[in-house]
Order: sequence, then structure tokens, then C-alpha cells
Amino acid sequence: MAANKLTRADLMSAFWRYIFFFQMGWNYERMQSVGYCFTMLPILKKTRPDPEEFKEAFITNLNFFNTMPVLGAPLIIGAHIALEEAGASLETTEGLKVGLMGPLAGVGDTLIWALYNSIIFSIGSVMALQGNVLGPILVILLVLIPYTALRYWQFFWAYNQGTSLVASLGSGAIRRITELATIVGLIVVGGFAPSIVKLTTPLKWSREVTLRGETVTQTVEVQPQLDSILPYLLSVLVTFLAYWLLKKKGWSPTRVIALLFVLGFVGGVLGIFG
Amino acid sequence: MLTALILAIWAYLCIFDILGPTFFLGFRPLIAGFGTGILVGDVQTGMMVGATLELMALGVYTYGGATIPDYTVGAILGTYFGKTLGFEGGVALAIPAALLLTQVDVLNRFLNFIFVHRADRYAEAGDAAGFDRMMIFFSHIIWGLSRAIPVFLAVAFGEDLVQGISAFFQANPWFNRGIMVTGGVLPALGFAMLLKILPVEQYPAFLLLGFVMYAYLKIPLLGIALAAFAIALVFQQVKYRAKEA
Repeated sequence: MAANKLTRADLMSAFWRYIFFFQMGWNYERMQSVGYCFTMLPILKKTRPDPEEFKEAFITNLNFFNTMPVLGAPLIIGAHIALEEAGASLETTEGLKVGLMGPLAGVGDTLIWALYNSIIFSIGSVMALQGNVLGPILVILLVLIPYTALRYWQFFWAYNQGTSLVASLGSGAIRRITELATIVGLIVVGGFAPSIVKLTTPLKWSREVTLRGETVTQTVEVQPQLDSILPYLLSVLVTFLAYWLLKKKGWSPTRVIALLFVLGFVGGVLGIFG
Repeated sequence: MLTALILAIWAYLCIFDILGPTFFLGFRPLIAGFGTGILVGDVQTGMMVGATLELMALGVYTYGGATIPDYTVGAILGTYFGKTLGFEGGVALAIPAALLLTQVDVLNRFLNFIFVHRADRYAEAGDAAGFDRMMIFFSHIIWGLSRAIPVFLAVAFGEDLVQGISAFFQANPWFNRGIMVTGGVLPALGFAMLLKILPVEQYPAFLLLGFVMYAYLKIPLLGIALAAFAIALVFQQVKYRAKEA
């Protein structure tokens, strides 16, 4: 098959389709399949001038597809385009898609959705609660610029790397970056959790004590006592309770939300917490 | 009515963003609330409601495709009604609204199957232009309207309901107290979900280090994040140098 050379305009056409429409029409049946196919169509039209061949590629690229849209998807698309330009068969390109979408989704979810977003949204929200307009603006800038740059870079890097991509992804670089991000995540969660999970108690009790013949009322407040054992003790306990229920007891997040809601609401109303 | 329309369009845009552009993550409550604050002329309430919901929801956004309470619509309605009810009232209204709409997300992710079936037909016919039209004009409609319509209805017709809720809050201050404590406790779930995906048992020391930096050394969050990055870099340099040597 004599594949046609792609121009910069073809690549940009696929890139913009990816940027604006990648997850449109997401559905349980085949997830990102329509967005993926939509992204590839300008390329397929060029590489497969024969209408029957084009149709076959059109149908095949509507197969199930799902990965992390920001970190992962552009790598796969870029590499796919390079293979397509080199005249690879549909079996090869489907193999590439299926082979990379799972592992990249895991890495992307952890790095971007879980770690990066949690950090920037925690900082932005704490600033916003202090009435600082820069909080949400900072978050938007920290999304807009790095996300878009990252997506552009992956797309063209993978296209230029082409078939050697799979080899370079396996070289351990991804594993090392993931480990780095994981350590950052652990330290940050350790610090952020007590700053954001707020649970204190206003409980106190008074008793009459007789000191050298005089009766005085002594008031013992519970919170300062707890603080002297460990600062943020109740916050730490409730976070570990939620973690334990999720991880060891296999509770669903919704069930944990329900429990925390009842604990917080009833505790607040009764004046045990607050 | 005009406000209802404007906020409905904002809700549509917030969800449109995550389906493609991902330029401002409008579906996150901090951003949805902030934008609503600008649109209704009460940025402070928008930020307060949005940030409170954001911290409650933190971590439930860990995975891309998961269905969770609709804090986006929650933040928009919470900000709009919070303008008159006050910020606690806004939050108290946002949570049930978000929970109520959880199932709408499931429904629309299911209904979207019509696009993939239409796409199959376009592909069989080799009709790329028809497929392109469907993608550009229609592929976001179910998702967008599933957020825009509830916002429109609540803002256009919810005034009486909100008056009633407002009167209830004034008569029952204990309710606000319960809601505020809940707001402080719910982020525990977010952190628990983060901890679940992190190798806590392999590296407990890092978690402890972060806690000490905040609880005892009182380092601000941004400082902790920077220190964490430095520590991770040093850790890897030592680890891999030892291995390579």
C-alpha cells in the first residue's frame, strides 16, 4: 500500500479535533470510541485514498477505546498517526491502541487526576476560602497552560518517535516519574489532610473541687487535652477511619460519604463536634 | 429568567470543557462556583461555596470515568441561592442538589450509546461528513442538557422553595451547625481515596513527614508541596545512584 505523506495541516486538523472533541459522546458501550475515530478521520482520509479501505479503517476505529484524555491519549494518537503514515495494517494500529490505553490510563489518572489536581485544587480552595480571588484564577492558569502544552508536546513527540515509542515507554522512565509523583503525593497528603479535614470538639466538663476548704469550679476542655496528645488528632482519626473502611473493609465511597455525613451532621447538631 | 438561561449556558460550558478542551476544568466545583459568582455578581459567595464543595469532593475526582455526586450543578445552584441565603445556606442546598443528580450522569452516559450506533451507520456508508456533523453539533447535547436543564429549572422556578428553606434555616440554627461540621469531615473521604491509590504501606515515612511539616512546623501548603518535590528528587538520586554504582 502506497501511503501518502501527511502535511502539517493534516496533523493540526487531527490535533484540534482531539483537543475539542475527544470525549464527546462518551458512553458505557464503547467509551471514547467516537471521539477517537473523529480525531483520526482527516488522517485516514489521506492515508487511505481507496474508499473501501477508508471505510474499513473508519469502522475499525470505532472499536472500544478508553484512556486518560490528557496524559496518554495524545501519545497513542501521535504514534498511531505515525504508523498510519508508514502504511501499517489495521491489526498493527489496533494492537497499539489496545496495548497502550490501559497502562497509560493508570499512569495518567494517578499523575494528573489524583496528584496534580488534588494539589492545585487544595491550594486554590484554601486561598478562595480566605477570600482571595487569585485562588481560582491560579488554578485555571495551572490547568490551561500546562495541560495544553503537555497535550501538544505528547502528540507531536509521539508522532516523531513513531514506532520506537513503545520501546521508549518501556525503558523505565515512566516508572521513575510515577515513583517521583507518588512520593510527592504521600508527603503532600500527609500535610494537606490535617489542614483540610476539620474535626474538633467543643466538649468540656466542670466539677466542684474543694481546695484548702474553698470550693472552686474546675472546667476541663477536651480539645486542648487532645491537642497535647497529637495536634489534629480527630482529623487524623476520621481520615484513617475512612481509609480503613475503603481499603480493608471494601466499603464503596458512597457508603463512606453516608457514614461521614451522619457522623458530622449528628455530631454537629448534638454539640459533640464543632 | 435571563439569569436562569445564563447559568444554564454556564453549566453546559462547564461540562463541555471536560469532554474536550479541558482548558479550565469547569466541572470542578471551585471553578463552577467561581464562574457563577462572577455571572451573578457575588464572587465571594461563589468562591466560598465552590471551595467548600471542592474540599468535600477532593479525591473523589481521582478517576476519570467514575460517577459521583454532581458537585458542578451543586456549586452553581449553591452560589446562586447562596447569594440570598448566605454561604452556609448555599452549601446546605448544594449538597442535596448534587446527590439528587448523581443518577442523571449514569443515565446520560448510557443514553449516549445512540451516538456510537449512528456512527456505525455513517461508517458503513463511508459518510465521513455526516459523522463529522454529528460529532460537532450533537455529540455533547445529552451531556450538556443533563446539567443545563436542572440548573435552568431550579433557578427559574426554585424561588419559593428557597424562601421556604431560608425560613427553615432562620428558625433552626442547629441545622447550619450540622452542615458546617459535615463540611469539615467529608474531605476525609477524599484523602482516604488518595491514600488508597498511594503505596502507604510501602512508604509510611513520607506520609508522616508531611504531617509533621504541617502540624508541628506549620509550613504553608505550597511550601509542603515544594519540599515534597525536593525530598522525592533526593530520594531518587540516592536510590538510583546506589543501584547504578
